[in-house]
Amino acid sequence: MALLEVRDLKVHFPIKGGILNRTVGHIKAVDGVNFSIEQGKTYGLVGESGSGKSTTGKAIIGLEQITEGQVIFNGEDITSIKNKTKDIRKDIQMIFQDPYSSLNPRKRVLDIIAEPLRNYEKLTKNEEKQRVYELLELVGLTPESIWKFPHQFSGGQRQRIGVARAIALKPKLIIADEPVSALDVSVQAQVLNFMQDIQKELGLTYLFISHDLGVVKHMCDEIAIMYRGRYVEQGTKDDIFENPQHIYTKRLIAAIPDVNPRNRDKHYVFRQEVKKEYEQAYDEYFDAEGLAFGLKDISDTHRVALPERG
Amino acid sequence: MEAKDMNVDSQVLKSESPSGLRILWRELVKDKLALFSLIFLILITAFVFGISWILNQDEIVRVDLFAINEPPSDEFILGTDYGGRDVFGQLIIGTRNSLTIGFLVTLFSGIIGIVFGVVSGYFGGHIDNIMMRILDFFFILPFIMLVIVFVSLVPSYNTFTFSLIMTLFSWMGIARLIRSKALQEKELDYAKASKTLGSSDISIIFKQVLPNITSLIIVTMTLNLAANIGLESGLSFLGFGLPENTPSLGTLLSYATNPQTLEHRWWIWMPAALLILLLMLAVRNVGEALRRATDARQRRG
Amino acid sequence: MWKFIVRRLLVTFPQIVLLSILVFVMAQFMPGDALTGQVDPNVSPEIKQQIRERLGLNNPWYVQYTDWIGGAVTGDFGQSFRFKMPVTDLIEQRIYNTFWLSLVTLIFMYIIAVPLGIISGRYNDTWLDQTITGYTYLGFATPLFIFALVMLWIFGYQFGWFPTSGSVAPGLSPGSWDYVWSKFQHLLLPALSMALIGTVSTVQYLRSEIVDTKQRDFIITARAKGASESRVYNRHILRNSVLPIAAFFGWEITGLISGTIFIERIFGYPGMGALFLESVLMRDYSVVTALVLLFGVAAILGALLSDIILSIVDPRIRIK
Repeated sequence: MALLEVRDLKVHFPIKGGILNRTVGHIKAVDGVNFSIEQGKTYGLVGESGSGKSTTGKAIIGLEQITEGQVIFNGEDITSIKNKTKDIRKDIQMIFQDPYSSLNPRKRVLDIIAEPLRNYEKLTKNEEKQRVYELLELVGLTPESIWKFPHQFSGGQRQRIGVARAIALKPKLIIADEPVSALDVSVQAQVLNFMQDIQKELGLTYLFISHDLGVVKHMCDEIAIMYRGRYVEQGTKDDIFENPQHIYTKRLIAAIPDVNPRNRDKHYVFRQEVKKEYEQAYDEYFDAEGLAFGLKDISDTHRVALPERG
Repeated sequence: MEAKDMNVDSQVLKSESPSGLRILWRELVKDKLALFSLIFLILITAFVFGISWILNQDEIVRVDLFAINEPPSDEFILGTDYGGRDVFGQLIIGTRNSLTIGFLVTLFSGIIGIVFGVVSGYFGGHIDNIMMRILDFFFILPFIMLVIVFVSLVPSYNTFTFSLIMTLFSWMGIARLIRSKALQEKELDYAKASKTLGSSDISIIFKQVLPNITSLIIVTMTLNLAANIGLESGLSFLGFGLPENTPSLGTLLSYATNPQTLEHRWWIWMPAALLILLLMLAVRNVGEALRRATDARQRRG
Repeated sequence: MWKFIVRRLLVTFPQIVLLSILVFVMAQFMPGDALTGQVDPNVSPEIKQQIRERLGLNNPWYVQYTDWIGGAVTGDFGQSFRFKMPVTDLIEQRIYNTFWLSLVTLIFMYIIAVPLGIISGRYNDTWLDQTITGYTYLGFATPLFIFALVMLWIFGYQFGWFPTSGSVAPGLSPGSWDYVWSKFQHLLLPALSMALIGTVSTVQYLRSEIVDTKQRDFIITARAKGASESRVYNRHILRNSVLPIAAFFGWEITGLISGTIFIERIFGYPGMGALFLESVLMRDYSVVTALVLLFGVAAILGALLSDIILSIVDPRIRIK
């Protein structure tokens, strides 16, 4: 059984207008998304900004209202906020994109990391401090850190504090919303490796949201590509990187920079080709509104939004 | 582990909060005019509250028909008013009463305004919409008129109830300010993070968001204090403040509505006018310095 | 824009209704009713009761409210027990004085604010700007009534340049040139006192707006294109900064109302503010109720007007 199952998830934001401020239309931020994540795996959600990938993550954890669809966690339906009991909320945690705004600047690290503990566990001051020390050690920060304020840390260190806070309650699922995109490239790998380490250690499941295919390739077992609220392609890492079917996916993969400088010219030519194909085939692969079609099975794991032919 | 713990604890003092409080204080001390104003305010407050412990209020407000409208002399440092009451004594008690009411109104309207604003801003949507319409309505009401009507309707009142009446119509400014700030703060990830960590809305509002707007609150309340001292003395001046046996600074000024007093007996109203002016200026100096301190662009160094 | 205006009007109507209910409830707490002062105190309680019944004073509150508001809309606010005349007539006598006082004050406010604000903003951080900023700083800290008292003391009593009380010298026939001139003389000092204090926020607004606009990219571009300094100011900066203050007068009404209450008291000027104070002191509550309602409606309509004008002048606020 999958740890998390999302069925036909829709998140629509109303557009207000008119004299009485009535709803005159909807922005379909997430428009019918299906996926499931197995325990201990990392599921990558990729897309450009505005594609609805962050909204999907926020809808699952309850930061956005779900318009339609179902979210099933560990066999329980948690679609409506009411059903997100304390126990379940404890099992799903989130790592935020911006390590600067996601830590309250007026709180010491102790208070920041202990916040979830105070909400869920009745600990004495000493026990609490002990737990925070352990968490800090786990994320590789020195014990003195607990008396410091967020502004005394670098971006990478701050994100570690964010991670420590997210794993404090020993959750089953962590939604990582672009956890490294605000960090310097040099620190990104460091944080990513460390996230993989604690995944093994604690048996975590990640929903990894990113716009960076390179990072996703490094982290994820399964990957989905989103475009304007819909899935374009979904499959295992190999499916997506070795055998991309949708022109949008192809173009995204072609855009990953090549590390080898000798291939630069070749890569450039390749990219131009893909771009040309994309422009020519755009009308074929997207409907009149520019949205992706429904998904079709290509193999057991691989699903692509291919046009309905014939 | 025990030793390590203590070691860590001893470092508490070393790392400072980036919080406004310390920055505010540093900027205040750097601004000589503001520092001087603050010292002046503390001295005046200490002086009037201290002296009025010793002074006998009943004696000061007792009418003495043998010493009406006397100019300043050795016996009465600032002369007497039309009831033969010592102006200097009234000045001290009046300052005390005016300051007390100013502080109380600022405190009450601050509490109401902060709670109203932060709730409205944090929850947003329909709640915010409705609360803002209520606020707009209060904002537009003719404040002075309503307070006057209320005061004339309430049969008997004291410093405390009078402050409450003033509060009823003066919480809106700070509420609007706090609301717009709370609206910004709740969009920041730390507030959202708190939500995913299982904190309740109430706890997010008061434990997470509020500490981030303390400096704004302090600045606004300081500036409000000046306004409230002015308002209270204005109401007393019109005769709708505290009753005459509890003089305020405005009461002394109200004697100046008698043309004779205004033209010929400066000692009755001039000191009170100067004192109100100085108090308001001093409070504003402090408030403006604090405001500059919260605005990083205007900091003096 | 029409959408904004209609939406704004939709807010105004409930505001007025709410105000009227508030005033009505307040009136219920006031001692006495329409009978007070009209009937001989020696009339027996039974007869009083009959009159009450006839006047509808025993009706449920909502019927009374509708009666009252119906009267108010048609200009019937009942009788003043002190003056033994209809409240409407009483107010009519005073409303012109207050109207002229407010109008002249507003004119003074703009005459003071526009040049000072522009000078202060354009030549910011010169000694001229510092003087003006000093004035606004003091103006903010000075309560209106103290300033007015000092003005009266200095210019009215010490120098004797202005009349010290009333709205017109006695013995002049209305309509004559002398009468108008005397009225104006009586207005001058109160209006000037109120304007000098009331205008400081506008000066400050104008200054910071101009200083702000000066550093905007489109101004720098205009300069870079070689536009002359005066053209930059007249065509770009002033248009952006000065026009919005044209809309301020409506919001000033709330301030003017409290201002006239103080000013009319200090200068013995027979307007509505003075009438209000006298009526409260004399417990002439039908007058008080009418005045609160009138001033409240004036403030609400003023804000409405300002919002609409501003939405025409400054499209930015319409987005909401």
